Amino acid sequence: MTREAIDGISAPGGRARVVRAVSWMVLFAALHGGFRYFGRRGMLVNASRVEMRLRRDLLFHVIRLPLAFFGRTPTGDVMSRLTNDVSAVWLFLGPGLLILAGTAISYVLALFFMARISVMLTLVSLALAPVVVITSREYGRAFHRYHRKAQESLAAMNAALQENIAGIRLVKAYGLEGQEEKRFHRACREYYRQNVSVSKTSAAFHGAIGLLAGIGVALVLLLGAWLVIRGRLTLGGFVAFNAYLAMLSFPTMALGWVINLFQRGGSAMGRINEFLGIPAEPREPSLFPPRKVPDAPFLEVSDLSFAYEGQDRGEALRGITFSLRKGEIAGLVGQTGSGKTTLFSLLLRLYPVPPGTVFLEGRDVSAIPLDEVRRAVSLVSQDPFLFSDTILANIGFGRDVPDEEDARRAASMARFLAEIEEMPGGMHAVIGERGISLSGGQKQRATIARALCAGGELLLLDDALSAVDSETEQEIFREILSVRGGRTVLFSTHRMASLSRCDRILVLEGGRIVEEGTHDLLLSRAGAYFDLYSRQLLVRELEAAP
Amino acid sequence: MSNGTEFYFYEDRVEARGMDIRLLRRLLSYLVPHKGLIALALAGLLLGTACQLAGPYILKLVIDRNVTPRVLDGMAGRILLYLAALAGAMGFLYLQMFSVSLIGQRVILHIRTEMFGRLQRLPVSFFDRTPTGRLMTRLTSDVEALQELISSGLVSTVGDVALLAGTASVLLWMDARLALVVFAVLPALVLFVELLKRFIREANREKRRKLARINAYLQEHVSGVAVVKAFVQEEKSVRGFDARNEEYCAESIRLTNFYSVYFPGVELFASVAVALLLWQGGIRVIAGAVTFGTLVAFLEYAQKFYNPIKDMSDKYNILQAALASSERIFHILDMEVSPEYGPVPSGGEEDAGAVDAWGAGGARRAGPPAIEFRDVWFSYPKGGGEERGMVLRGVSFALLEGETGAIVGATGAGKTTILNLLCRFYEISRGEIRLFGRDVREIPRGELRGMISLVLQDPFLFSGTIRENVEAGGAAIDRAVEVAGVARFSAAWDGGLITQVGERGGRLSVGQRQLVSFARALARDPKILILDEATSSVDPVTEHELQSALAKILSGRTSLVVAHRLSTILSADRIIVMHRGKVRETGTHQELLAARGIYHRLFTLQFAGR
Repeated sequence: MTREAIDGISAPGGRARVVRAVSWMVLFAALHGGFRYFGRRGMLVNASRVEMRLRRDLLFHVIRLPLAFFGRTPTGDVMSRLTNDVSAVWLFLGPGLLILAGTAISYVLALFFMARISVMLTLVSLALAPVVVITSREYGRAFHRYHRKAQESLAAMNAALQENIAGIRLVKAYGLEGQEEKRFHRACREYYRQNVSVSKTSAAFHGAIGLLAGIGVALVLLLGAWLVIRGRLTLGGFVAFNAYLAMLSFPTMALGWVINLFQRGGSAMGRINEFLGIPAEPREPSLFPPRKVPDAPFLEVSDLSFAYEGQDRGEALRGITFSLRKGEIAGLVGQTGSGKTTLFSLLLRLYPVPPGTVFLEGRDVSAIPLDEVRRAVSLVSQDPFLFSDTILANIGFGRDVPDEEDARRAASMARFLAEIEEMPGGMHAVIGERGISLSGGQKQRATIARALCAGGELLLLDDALSAVDSETEQEIFREILSVRGGRTVLFSTHRMASLSRCDRILVLEGGRIVEEGTHDLLLSRAGAYFDLYSRQLLVRELEAAP
Repeated sequence: MSNGTEFYFYEDRVEARGMDIRLLRRLLSYLVPHKGLIALALAGLLLGTACQLAGPYILKLVIDRNVTPRVLDGMAGRILLYLAALAGAMGFLYLQMFSVSLIGQRVILHIRTEMFGRLQRLPVSFFDRTPTGRLMTRLTSDVEALQELISSGLVSTVGDVALLAGTASVLLWMDARLALVVFAVLPALVLFVELLKRFIREANREKRRKLARINAYLQEHVSGVAVVKAFVQEEKSVRGFDARNEEYCAESIRLTNFYSVYFPGVELFASVAVALLLWQGGIRVIAGAVTFGTLVAFLEYAQKFYNPIKDMSDKYNILQAALASSERIFHILDMEVSPEYGPVPSGGEEDAGAVDAWGAGGARRAGPPAIEFRDVWFSYPKGGGEERGMVLRGVSFALLEGETGAIVGATGAGKTTILNLLCRFYEISRGEIRLFGRDVREIPRGELRGMISLVLQDPFLFSGTIRENVEAGGAAIDRAVEVAGVARFSAAWDGGLITQVGERGGRLSVGQRQLVSFARALARDPKILILDEATSSVDPVTEHELQSALAKILSGRTSLVVAHRLSTILSADRIIVMHRGKVRETGTHQELLAARGIYHRLFTLQFAGR
């Protein structure tokens, strides 16, 4: 239509022709806008929905992967697949495909009209297109590479900063301010260097692409003008051709970008599939679930050995054998690395348990559906991990819907209720950066309340009261023991006062049970337990005391 | 606790205020050192703009002088000129883009380093009441906002204005009436862009917020996956995620809708402008008022004209955001450093001499006590909760040189506070704390830090090697790693002492971290050793080894220990029993047991088994 208008200018009766052509132009532009609106919306909305599903499905799968997977995969890696990789897939499916479609349409239509104006000019103008595509693809790659490096150094800088803030007391106490400043400055400089690389690349690209486009335009200008002078092309055709060419410049550049998006989206999808391909923990109910054996001990462990995969530290547990009656309270002692935490994790089947080694009420746990095992066992681990949610949601975490009455009861047993009630919002106070920050002891008591609220029949406490003072620890134990009828408890602690209360003590050393018996029996044996005990209590000084 | 409420109000106030010349001037002062680069950028910008403006004009010449009259003379020359103008424009563009981003990067490197330096010297109470996340934002996002301002704000605004003014004058010069046609579309375009941009900005911000929520949720559930599994709550985790995920998706769709109107809309305006130009221009060409070349050149210029206008509202937004960020940044830079970094009050000098003479004499227990608290009252600074009363209420005790003092008492009795005050992390409200007879406030910071070694309750390590961590404490590394038992466990590893400990020491077990933090404390051969319940999570055997080793190094060294462990308490020369911010009992183990007071009660509770 531009051609029509311009040609109309030079033709007789041109005025009407110009007006007609211009009206058509406006109409076409409006139609074009309408199509673009629907096309764009349709494709991008669809891509957003796909992104949402993909992210959900990935989390759904990842959260069911065995714990060993999380042991060997850094959190950052898992996070980057759940966030960056999913976004990369979206970027391809949404904007990527949109631009690809737009480019294809522009190319087909523009080339059609351009060829109608002049085949020769069209061929000349296409000569540079491959160079532009390759340049922008290469740029996309380089940019992505530098950008990733910049992100990495940003992450390093953030880590340095975070560590510094977390350790600010030590920094001050040891006068490390200068040293830390140097360290941080180094991290900043590295980030700076990467950013300069990024901007160097992007400035060079913009210059180069502009120049390429300019050469193309100049070529067309040269040839077009010559054609017009020779009378083989109308002036309107010449101007319109230039306009079409200008329309193609963005899609040509974008093509390189799309290729790059496609590559990134592809490799991101590959990484996502890699995770999706890892088998999840088996949780299907078995066809013939084992039956409870009436007279069997509540928990029986028989010749249990275990080694962490991929670690050449040897076996973490070796031939562990013991059993607990229903309602029995057993203590587990042993130094760091003796295998206490491993044993607790296995009782919960957080790692695969060899068949025929652990029995709950006579049933082989490796044959009981996973969910059932974990519902029967409540673990309080060493590390008091809480979610940034309300206290109620945290204590009631083991239930599908947290019940406030139950949560209060559990909190009261864990000697935490009084403190919760003093907090603004009480049970509904939110834990976390913008909410309440709990002390170490409060966190531990919250995790104990969580386990009590979950109501497993076997309660495992893995050094779960180390930050609670001994008076409170005694009170909590008294509470737990007062309802002992239903619950079987296995706990590890360094505090002798708590150990002396339990029915049985297991002493672990290097992954083996080296002693077993009551507190008094073990003391009378003068073995490993007695050593531990006497070292800690310094019995001689005690006796010397009046 | 109402962590950092100050900051919340603060941010709100900034948003409301907007522009501030004083702030802008202070920001600009950071640009002064980069005068040369700025000149380069501006030169590149103006020359580039000139070259860009020349392009369409040369095109007009080609059409009017060659195409219309159909002569080939001078055409090649003109086209070469066109190419040269373009090459120039691109070259200058590169120069300008690069130098501008260099300026931006350098300025933020400077600001970031300056902020970090200031942060190191702020009082501990500041860190107590300011969440880490917020500080991180100050040094990352807020600083990046400044970079944005410099890179795509300040200089390119100058560029845009130059381009707009240049284009407008060239258009007016070539043909005033056609120029007015080009300008006619502007008000509508500006209105359209401004209106939609407002929605887009808001939707974008909301989308980012929702994404941050998703990420925080994922992060938490991935790091807490063991808990999720232990309580069989995989379903619940995914359900909780679904809600956030859907919110995010809805927000992205909303944004897509806006963009789907915005981009085609802007293009429609451009098409209408071209149509108008063709219509009016065509009529004028037919009437012979303008040449063809002029019309074609106008078509080209019109494109250059609309782009900067589209960006204008973004620019203002960037400026606003950067000003808000810079106010927050300057707030940190303007904070008063902790008093211990300031000059020592006069009067400390003579005292110091006296003490040195005394110290050199080395006569044990001849001089003033090594540590002395005289009627110390203290409450944590405001901002960490309003109704926090006095944590220490008239605490007095003394520890002679070479003595080990053990502080015992229930949680919240004020034990850790005593250690914090000894390190001068906080300023006391009333009373005096003296070290070797000198008020801590009169001891220069460097000297005070050199005297004291601190072992925190949580054995915090910095990422790096074991050796680097121990070195942070002082020079006596070999002896320290030997005595603390670090040498024993690290010898079994390939890397030995140069094993990386990971972020916050995460690759070591809790016990090992503890040992390394002991070694760090010993490495400086401190006059005073301060331990905070550091042994609570080491198993008895390791602890025993450590205790006996510590006993060796403690002899002749003053130490103050917060401990729950009997062995530590028993080996102390003096036991200080704290209860609700007061010293209730002091004495040796036997004396205190005999007194049958609080200590007796605590003691029997803890060791009731015997």
